[in-house]
Amino acid sequence: MGDNIGKVLDREGFKYNFTASASGTSAQDGVIKEQDRLLPIANVGRIMKQILPPNAKISKEAKETMQESVSEFISFVTGEASDKCHKEKRKTVNGDDICWALATLGFDDYSEPLKRYLYKYREMEGERANQNKGSNGYENNIANI
Amino acid sequence: MAMQTVYLKEHEGLVYNSVGQLSSVTSAPWWSALGSQPVYGEYCGQIKPFSFEISNYVDQFPAGKQAVRGVEQLLDKGHTTTQFTIFPDDCKMSGDAENPQATLSLQSSLAEPHNRFEIGFNQPMICAKYPYMDQFYGLFSAFGPQISGRIMLPINLTSDDGPTYVNAKQYHGIIRRRLSRAKAVLENKMIKRRKPYMHESRHLHALRRPRGCGGRFLNTKGSTNGNGRNESKVNKTGGRQLQSSASQSSEVLHSEVGTLNSSKETNRSSPNISGSEVTSMYSREGFDGFSVNRLGSSVHSLVDMVLSRPLNGLQQYQVTAATLKFD
Repeated sequence: MGDNIGKVLDREGFKYNFTASASGTSAQDGVIKEQDRLLPIANVGRIMKQILPPNAKISKEAKETMQESVSEFISFVTGEASDKCHKEKRKTVNGDDICWALATLGFDDYSEPLKRYLYKYREMEGERANQNKGSNGYENNIANI
Repeated sequence: MAMQTVYLKEHEGLVYNSVGQLSSVTSAPWWSALGSQPVYGEYCGQIKPFSFEISNYVDQFPAGKQAVRGVEQLLDKGHTTTQFTIFPDDCKMSGDAENPQATLSLQSSLAEPHNRFEIGFNQPMICAKYPYMDQFYGLFSAFGPQISGRIMLPINLTSDDGPTYVNAKQYHGIIRRRLSRAKAVLENKMIKRRKPYMHESRHLHALRRPRGCGGRFLNTKGSTNGNGRNESKVNKTGGRQLQSSASQSSEVLHSEVGTLNSSKETNRSSPNISGSEVTSMYSREGFDGFSVNRLGSSVHSLVDMVLSRPLNGLQQYQVTAATLKFD
């Protein structure tokens, strides 16, 4: 009986998702917000397995607990960065703001490696951009010929 | 005595916040008024043990009522009334703290058209964060010089533990997150019960798929996706280990549950089957550590395992369960 009620609610939410109407039921809000609020549980489980020995097992409850924890931590740090951007009248939160937020909240041990990662990431992006420009020039040369 | 001093200074911070609100914002939006009241609700737990604190709270309560006064605040309060009525249905633990607020809002409730509600809702959201920052800044400065490194959080009514001291750098962040979560609860967006599946059509499709022994899906080995997965995982040693552990956990789940599987487990079974295939390759190559995974492959490997080596309790249980399934 309870399962049927749940299915009906899910169906209603499913229909409203198609129509994208503004006035939705609580099921629709729950459906949308749970997906928006939490990271995908499969990805969380995969990341947890990377650090464990090959024969280890992870219970579903452990994955759900870690899912809640990491999602809350992301909101915690992003909220701090967003406050900084709001004070400075900026609308875009970038990587430097996240590093600053981690340092401000006392996570200095994480902030420094993340800055180095961000620096190397930007270098790699710059190299990719140059390669794209070079390939464009090559195509232009072919067109000229 | 020191604790009372701390509590007194907390209330001084509250007075500062309320005065700041009245001076800075002539017409306070509904959410700022609502934001100030949960702070009162949070301090109720602290006030109960001390009579002096109760008198201070009584003094501050009229200040809150003064903040509630005003035409636009009444409009916003009308909107909050509609939100508070949702609380009894949700059966939240925080309902005890929210009931006094519901009483206040019910006293000041007015019948308003829906359009005005929308107008009232849109405007406060624009300047919603500014009063919060005033509150947080006042609280932070009030606590900063007292205890170096640690600041005492307001007590949650849900948890009966004593005061919790947190990193001073994180205090206002934690308070901001608490308000965000409370707002999400008010808007009835946070559902604690998890859905077994997200899409009805995918769930129905999974129910219609044919299943083999042990409840796993058939037609997985022959599919191109399965072959692609095998190829990708053979190239990576870490990937093999990951999949083998996944297959072990799935086998334990199958043996324990025994009956109908949820769609999440069935959706995971297809990579698990490919993992078991990879595990069988491991057994051919001589990996003794993964011999337990032969359960899913065939009866012959099961017989070999039973005859070749002694088994511990868990493995015996798995062997028994697999034998029953094969019968």
